[in-house]
Amino acid sequence: MVLVIGVVDLRKAREGDLRVIEQICLATWEPLYRFIYFKVQNREEAEDITQETYVKVLAYLHEHKASGENLPGFMKTVALNVLRDRWRQKKRRGIAVNIEEINPEEASGMDHQKAVTQRLQIENAMAKLNREQRDIIELRICKGHSVAETAEIVGKTQAAVRTAQYRALQALANILDGDD
Amino acid sequence: MNNPESRLSEYIDELNAEQEPEKHRGAADTPELEKLLTTVRAVRSLREPELPDPGYPQRLAKAAAQSLHQPAAPKPGFGSRVYEMVAGRFRRRWVLPPVAALVAGLLLFAVLTSWNGLFNRDVVYAMEKAVSKLSNYHGVLEMRSKNAAGEEWLIRRVELWSDGEKYAVRQDDGTLTVNNGERKWQVRAQSKEVALLPLAPDPARNGFDLRDEAKLANQYPHTVVGPDIIAGRETLKLEISPPGGLAYYLWVDTETNLPIQLQTAMQNSLQTTYTFVNFAPNTLIDPIIFTYQTPEGYKVVEKDPGQLVATVEEAAAISGLTPLLPKEAPARIFAFKDRIVFDYGDATIVEAAARGPFNPAPNAALGTAAGGPLEVWWERLRWRQEGLEIQAEGARRAELARQIAADFALPDSGKKLVKAQVQVPVDMEIAGANQQQVDRGSSPWHLDPLQVALTFVNLKVSPEGIVGEPKIPMSYYKLAANNGAEAVVEVSGGPVKKVYLQRLVRQDETGIWSVVGYDQ
Repeated sequence: MVLVIGVVDLRKAREGDLRVIEQICLATWEPLYRFIYFKVQNREEAEDITQETYVKVLAYLHEHKASGENLPGFMKTVALNVLRDRWRQKKRRGIAVNIEEINPEEASGMDHQKAVTQRLQIENAMAKLNREQRDIIELRICKGHSVAETAEIVGKTQAAVRTAQYRALQALANILDGDD
Repeated sequence: MNNPESRLSEYIDELNAEQEPEKHRGAADTPELEKLLTTVRAVRSLREPELPDPGYPQRLAKAAAQSLHQPAAPKPGFGSRVYEMVAGRFRRRWVLPPVAALVAGLLLFAVLTSWNGLFNRDVVYAMEKAVSKLSNYHGVLEMRSKNAAGEEWLIRRVELWSDGEKYAVRQDDGTLTVNNGERKWQVRAQSKEVALLPLAPDPARNGFDLRDEAKLANQYPHTVVGPDIIAGRETLKLEISPPGGLAYYLWVDTETNLPIQLQTAMQNSLQTTYTFVNFAPNTLIDPIIFTYQTPEGYKVVEKDPGQLVATVEEAAAISGLTPLLPKEAPARIFAFKDRIVFDYGDATIVEAAARGPFNPAPNAALGTAAGGPLEVWWERLRWRQEGLEIQAEGARRAELARQIAADFALPDSGKKLVKAQVQVPVDMEIAGANQQQVDRGSSPWHLDPLQVALTFVNLKVSPEGIVGEPKIPMSYYKLAANNGAEAVVEVSGGPVKKVYLQRLVRQDETGIWSVVGYDQ
């Protein structure tokens, strides 16, 4: 879907008309939010980055009298830049992050395709784990159970669950890396 | 808690709480840990994103509009949100409901239609969510059987009403069973009587429990077969494959995400299909259905239905028992002549006088409680303490059991029990065939580690086959350990001292045991 914004509406949005900006947000927020969430996997950060992206996009439109052509694609590029900036700052604070994972130049359509491929790769890799490893990863990560709940379900101690989840993720990372 | 295992676990906890881990706890300090955190995020991308609270797009719009009105203000930096002053303090501005964007819908549709097989987890995840949000339903469930010749017949048809913990089931013959949380009764139309039944504990209501099916679908490997129309509703057909067992099918209503049909595998030339021919989720249910009343001309039959009491002392007086109460007070206490039931809503504790020897189910895993064995059997815990036999069932059974027995310990299925002097090779093809045989209801002795050990040892003594009474009889065998995945059986006579067994096909109560080694 291509978002069509009229010239008058765009002018109003550039001038900060809340009603028009709200219309744009209503029509575009969810795909952008989902796109960002896919990268960060938590609501707090996804909300922050989505908000920062809209602020930057509207400021850009305002300053550069931009046409608003292919707004969703442009917003994704801005979001990736925001993500990259944040991860760079984390790196400066001594946190190792994989900046290569964020590439602002990738087109939005390609990124979606990549997401689907990634999904397939992860599901295939998960299928190669043994049942206990798969269960622990599914319970802790896919279903969001706590260590205590997981321990109760699988009948292990909490320390054993932490150890098992560490090893399971190591095994999964190796499979995804193609080591196994 | 700074070791890598704990940090990884905390990272997962933060993501599960939908919070930014680095902001709250710091993050990876080694490339190895960062690699694992990246893997966690990748796996987590399989689940549906958690969407913001209602009003998020409006908040976005306000924040963006405000930024345009304040050109001199510094650009939002790392981790910043737009705040406003309310009543002298800052708080985040949140208002109004969200509107789903068409773009997302179209994208999702395109992906679902072209990559259907990849989204199994989403279908099942959506089903589990829908089931958890199901507040009530009314429906008509049909059970049909089909034989190997393709002949099909209706076994029975029941009408169901379910509202939270309350439910009512009307059978074909007009028998109505109702549990309204305060009492349970059965109106028997044919004999014109109303039977008052014990309220707790209450076993499963019918053969197709929506919650159980959603849970099993999630536990077992599954694939989407494709769309199908069931009882006039559009559904997605899922194939569920229990490890080592035969596949069965579940149909999920695409509108409600709730399962509406279940078809078992063909077992012993018979296949059963449960179908909700009518199903109304989250609907209005007439409260009269859950109201106890004796129809005119009916007599009341009572067989110790128990009574709701206010205090433990009352329960003790009625039952003649001295109960052991968890620290947490129960929501309700039921007293019977021979037992006391503590009802916690999501768990039940039943205490009765201990009689005779304590015999755990042969294929139950064993933990410890009150210095003795703890039977872990499906979703039930059972042990003895201070002259009582205590049984805990339900989601919080372990938590409550721990409050009664301080030394309570579940079996550790990760612990290696098998340390055999002599290894016994296992043919997995034979083990798989044995498992399917047991699934069909034949040779249930494969589920009992003592029986499997007995057969193994006696075949060692008499390789030509066991004729008549086994030479090393059952009284010589003792289950020394069973953690659910591995077991050790001690033998007090004969050439074998210990037999080591494993559940190789399926590590739950339906999994068969195989001998993997022994000590001489």
